[in-house]
Amino acid sequence: MTKEERLKKRHSAEKRFRFYGLASIFVALLFVLILVHNIFSKGSSAFMKTAINVEVFFDQELLEIKNGATEDQILEADFYDITIESLLKVFPAQDLDQENQLIDLFTTDAEIEIKRAFLENNNLIGKKINLEITASDDIDQLHKGNYPRDLPEDRRRISDFQLIIYDNLVENKKIIKNFNNYFFKNGDSRDPELAGIGGALIGSFYSIIICLLLAFPVAVLASIYLEEFAPKNKITDFIEININNLAAVPSIVYGLLALQILLATIQLPRSTPLVAGITLALMTLPRIIIPCRASLKAVPPSIREGALAVGASKFQSVFHHVVPLALPGTLSGTIIGLAQALGETAPLILIGMVAFVVDIPSTPIDPSSSLPVQVYLWSESAERGFVEKTSATIMMLLSFLIVMNFLAVYLRQKFEKRWN
Amino acid sequence: MNNVKIKSKNLNVYYGEKQALFDVNLDLNEKEVTALIGPSGCGKSTFIRCINRMNDVIDICKVSGNIEIDGVEINDKNLDVVSLRERVGMVFQKPNPFPKSIYDNISYGPKIHGKGETKSELDEIVENSLKKAALWEEVKDRLDEPGTGLSGGQQQRLCIARAISVNPEVILMDEPCSALDPIATAKIEELIDELKKTYTIVIVTHSMAQAVRVSQKTGFFHLGKLIEVGKTEKIFKNPDNKMTQDYITGRFG
Repeated sequence: MTKEERLKKRHSAEKRFRFYGLASIFVALLFVLILVHNIFSKGSSAFMKTAINVEVFFDQELLEIKNGATEDQILEADFYDITIESLLKVFPAQDLDQENQLIDLFTTDAEIEIKRAFLENNNLIGKKINLEITASDDIDQLHKGNYPRDLPEDRRRISDFQLIIYDNLVENKKIIKNFNNYFFKNGDSRDPELAGIGGALIGSFYSIIICLLLAFPVAVLASIYLEEFAPKNKITDFIEININNLAAVPSIVYGLLALQILLATIQLPRSTPLVAGITLALMTLPRIIIPCRASLKAVPPSIREGALAVGASKFQSVFHHVVPLALPGTLSGTIIGLAQALGETAPLILIGMVAFVVDIPSTPIDPSSSLPVQVYLWSESAERGFVEKTSATIMMLLSFLIVMNFLAVYLRQKFEKRWN
Repeated sequence: MNNVKIKSKNLNVYYGEKQALFDVNLDLNEKEVTALIGPSGCGKSTFIRCINRMNDVIDICKVSGNIEIDGVEINDKNLDVVSLRERVGMVFQKPNPFPKSIYDNISYGPKIHGKGETKSELDEIVENSLKKAALWEEVKDRLDEPGTGLSGGQQQRLCIARAISVNPEVILMDEPCSALDPIATAKIEELIDELKKTYTIVIVTHSMAQAVRVSQKTGFFHLGKLIEVGKTEKIFKNPDNKMTQDYITGRFG
């Protein structure tokens, strides 16, 4: 082979490699784009909800309370009759069946929404006001264009009569799109229009805080001891190997462990953020220890020697010099560990967080859901409304993860800067 | 001739199975500069790291024999290494300032030893140490800037100032100029000349010329043994040992 031929071959090999590299990046980006597009196109509509403008007359005869009623009295009172009365006025119905179809256009919580309006202003007796009553899931999906209306009636959840009312409402501009506060405020519900991630958010928050409080100090102290103080012998080698092994153990195994020890033996309450936090802490511990030790190792030995040489004790050289320098790396490792824990589903399903929980947990020992488990739960539901809610929850989860990873990268970059 | 400050008797050092020093008997005089020369890996650094017990940091390192400072044995298990290192400061091959401000670099030692209770006392220690290290004029206006931002030569003088700050009796220097350019080296050598009035200095160096310039006494190490020790003039003009002769004339090493 001549020199020219070899040169040509080398150049083409380089070009080929460049092409393969670029192609791989392109394919990877394409997958990410498809994923993001899929989630956004399905999920973004969940942040809006459809409501119907209804004129409500607070009729003294139908209500048993007076103007200026106390909160307790209002909560006790029955608003069912005026709710039905108000909803039926939206469109003329011919018979009982049509009346039922009309009422089905609204959320099952219509009565509560009217009561809430009265709670805000207890002077409404005898007055007429316009309220935006949340529409049912079917109307919501229809209005968002997610529901095919050209199917034959017997294969639709919305009847022809309901479609007539809907078209009438659209024509009269009685249908509105609002910011969906229920999605953030409410707990889970059987009705998609009422279901929200409020409970899951709080549950995830408690779980992660407990995980952080348990895992961070233990991981940091273990790393400092292993890296700086422990003698290098077979026992520490064995511990090191096992920490690496534990980090690779599938998370569901931690779920089984928690099920046996925390729930069956210690009898902690099921489905609670407390148990979730402890389980996630067990799982996250080795995943924090590894980056912690790496960042301690990255502090040059000359810093330790410099401190020792001016007469600092081993303890002082570690805590005055090494640990502060390793701290940003330690924190970024911790955040990444927590981000993994935040997205963890399998162990939480095993400890019962998959239960259907409507109430928002007020303490870490109340039954609760968590964001990834909520995704899992809703992805199994048949109603169309849950499809967009699943994607919207994934969007929330991803945005938390992005924020956390961004923070970790920021801290690490700050760490690198300090060497120059 | 000055008094003997540090005395090593039958000093043996092992790194695991490997013996690094063989029966070293060496006397170092007070307020004098002793240079240790010899090819790489001959045990010079190992020897000076015995004087402030820096070898303790290395797990596999075992030291036997005696080192006395002012007649007191320092190879004693019960001896507090912290107070030993307060008396015996060290400057390393590569400048290793703490990634903190210049001020904090100097004030750290006095602070942990309880010297300089008040801010003004600390200020004074920092100023004096930097003056003694001939760095004060260059950095007095930027004491709060990071020590790592200084040039290599300045960093090394900062490390010398850091060693001086706890007011030691002995300063060990492990090839302090090997990472520096000739101008910075000249400044450090000038400084060593000044410091020997107050401190006992031991310097490990690979530069014969430096040993001649700064030291009064020179020891030649080879393969872990102290081959020859004597007045610097004698070692370089008229050594007793053939190996010393060969090394200083550049025939091996």
